[in-house]
Amino acid sequence: MDVLEYQAKEWFREMGIPVLPSQRIDRPGDIKRLKIPYPVVLKSQVRVGGRGRAGGVRFVTNTIDAIAAAQTIFHLSILGELPEVLLAEAKYDADQEFYLAVVLDGAAHRPLLLGSPQGGIDVESAPELLQQVVVDQEFSPFYARRLTIKMGLQGPLIQTVSGIIEKMYQLFVQKDLDLVEINPLGVSSTGELMALDGKVTVNDRAIARHPDVAAMAEKIVQREKGRKYSLELGTWDEVEPSGNIAVLGNGAGLVMATMDLLTDAGSQPASCLNIGHGRSWNSTTPSFSDRLQQGLEFLSEQKNIQVVLVNILGTVPTPTELAPVIVSFVQRRERMGTGKSRNQTYSPRVIVRFAGADFDSAKEQLAAVQVPLVESLDQAIAQASRLAKSSGRRR
Amino acid sequence: MKLTPDSKVVIQGYCEPLMVTHAARMKAYGTNVIATISPGQSGQTLDEIPVFDLVEQAVAEFGVIDTTIILVPPYQALDAALEAIAAGIRQIVIIPAGVPPLDMVHLLRKAEATETLVVGPNSPGIIVPGKILLGTHASEFYTPGSVGIVSRSSTLTYEIASELTKAGLGQSIGVSIGSDAITGSSFLQWLQILDEDENTQAIVLVGEPGGNSEEAAARYIAETIDKPVIAYIAGRNAPPGKHWGHTGTLAAVVGRGVNVGTTQSKLTAFKEAKVPVADRPSQIPGLMKKALK
Repeated sequence: MDVLEYQAKEWFREMGIPVLPSQRIDRPGDIKRLKIPYPVVLKSQVRVGGRGRAGGVRFVTNTIDAIAAAQTIFHLSILGELPEVLLAEAKYDADQEFYLAVVLDGAAHRPLLLGSPQGGIDVESAPELLQQVVVDQEFSPFYARRLTIKMGLQGPLIQTVSGIIEKMYQLFVQKDLDLVEINPLGVSSTGELMALDGKVTVNDRAIARHPDVAAMAEKIVQREKGRKYSLELGTWDEVEPSGNIAVLGNGAGLVMATMDLLTDAGSQPASCLNIGHGRSWNSTTPSFSDRLQQGLEFLSEQKNIQVVLVNILGTVPTPTELAPVIVSFVQRRERMGTGKSRNQTYSPRVIVRFAGADFDSAKEQLAAVQVPLVESLDQAIAQASRLAKSSGRRR
Repeated sequence: MKLTPDSKVVIQGYCEPLMVTHAARMKAYGTNVIATISPGQSGQTLDEIPVFDLVEQAVAEFGVIDTTIILVPPYQALDAALEAIAAGIRQIVIIPAGVPPLDMVHLLRKAEATETLVVGPNSPGIIVPGKILLGTHASEFYTPGSVGIVSRSSTLTYEIASELTKAGLGQSIGVSIGSDAITGSSFLQWLQILDEDENTQAIVLVGEPGGNSEEAAARYIAETIDKPVIAYIAGRNAPPGKHWGHTGTLAAVVGRGVNVGTTQSKLTAFKEAKVPVADRPSQIPGLMKKALK
């Protein structure tokens, strides 16, 4: 999860990383109560890059201009994202700009320190200047100093910049981050340092153990339009909105393989739902059967989906235990459908693929509600894509 | 690597249905589960297996323990693994999904220093068909034989084992290393283990988008593995940038080109290494039989 610049800077401030005086602006009228002396920079608080080029960052020198600029930025959508708040910040004259980051590297299996003496928007134009240091063992400040030396820094900057890297690393560990980036780190003519912009990404899996981050995440979910699929129930990925078939499976690998095969067979998967494994840690999290039932309900509410291919392999609830979940889902949809127009309660056709010891008893249960059960993956794909092609599109 | 039926195994978890089910399955498969560790529940027995509060108490009772299966909630996995290392256990299987990657970084520093093999997290562990089950694999899809499967996905491992079994090709071992950004053991480690394993004649490697472990594995196979290897990569038609429930796909791979991590980059790597790649799981047995000729 990406946090916004003003939230990142609050964390920087708490860690002792120098940031400019700034103020959160919730509405254009807040500008009248600005405590920062002009000139001021107004910045759109969005999670996407390129806001400067898009016009989301403006310099203002007086209240009238500031209110007008704030109104403009509040209405400026950047890559489809409108800001909820702006950040008003003092202007800073930097002599030099550095790039600094701590990132989790999937190849080294370790955190990496990154730094470039050429920061700001130029960082990408000089990749050869980007230095890295792998934090192989328990962190100690020498790793940070090693990076500053690689960056070619000299004199007092070695200690001051490595002090900032150290604090970034502490924040990285404290908040379970995937990334913390300061770009640019402004350096004044007197050698004073200032974090002028920052990017912070919290690892999604760790959110639940940080109450402050969990509260931020909750707000984002509430803001998002349309129905969000609860992470407790699995992960839902939209593939192609114009498709008419959905995959529901246990485990990302199997779900992806199923999607590949459907595409190869000439069908267009609309979305994929991975309900995870049969492992449920306690009674407060939904059981596998609950996830299956809610997953089916969720997919039925999507108007474009006409066929759902359920592909579940080797989980703790056996096929015999899972079949009733599908049977009651089909029966419930049928009951809902009586007396209403087909449009209101259209139900997708379900095809199920289970394998293993319980196959026959599950097949018998599902036959009672005319749901086909197939053991071979290739045959399940063939049947599902035939059905998807003959169904055409709904509305 | 100690993967024989007589090796001593404990399970760290809670005496809840989840652990009860898996403990019973492992035991029924012939795994020597000597104890379960469930703080505050010692003195009970679970399916005739004694329960202890601490790993070290089980060690005091039974001597050196070879392997632990960690079945605790994800935020407690690091602590459980550190406890196991402190008690002298050198093979650890971490079952839960959702372990924060920085916990794994912490654990791997310890594991490397103590030469501990860690499988997982987000993994069903290891199965040696007909001999031992260390984890939660659906054992019914496996049959003893000489093909080793190393994978990042648990369900795909079952899928491929089942295809091989149907074609009369048994398996020497099935292991899924998990698909997280930071995993304990890597493809390279397992390729090395399978290369040295005399029961393994051929290898199936199962990959997916994210990270660079398949690319590294392809180079390693070309350079050092003489046994036949067949690869299968899921996610050929997956739109990039989706997570598919695997955050591993989002892990940064710094300074190694923009394409690293995509299915395409992995397929290219195997092509360059002259490793046959199956388009679908059901193609694997045919390719395998051809390679074994």
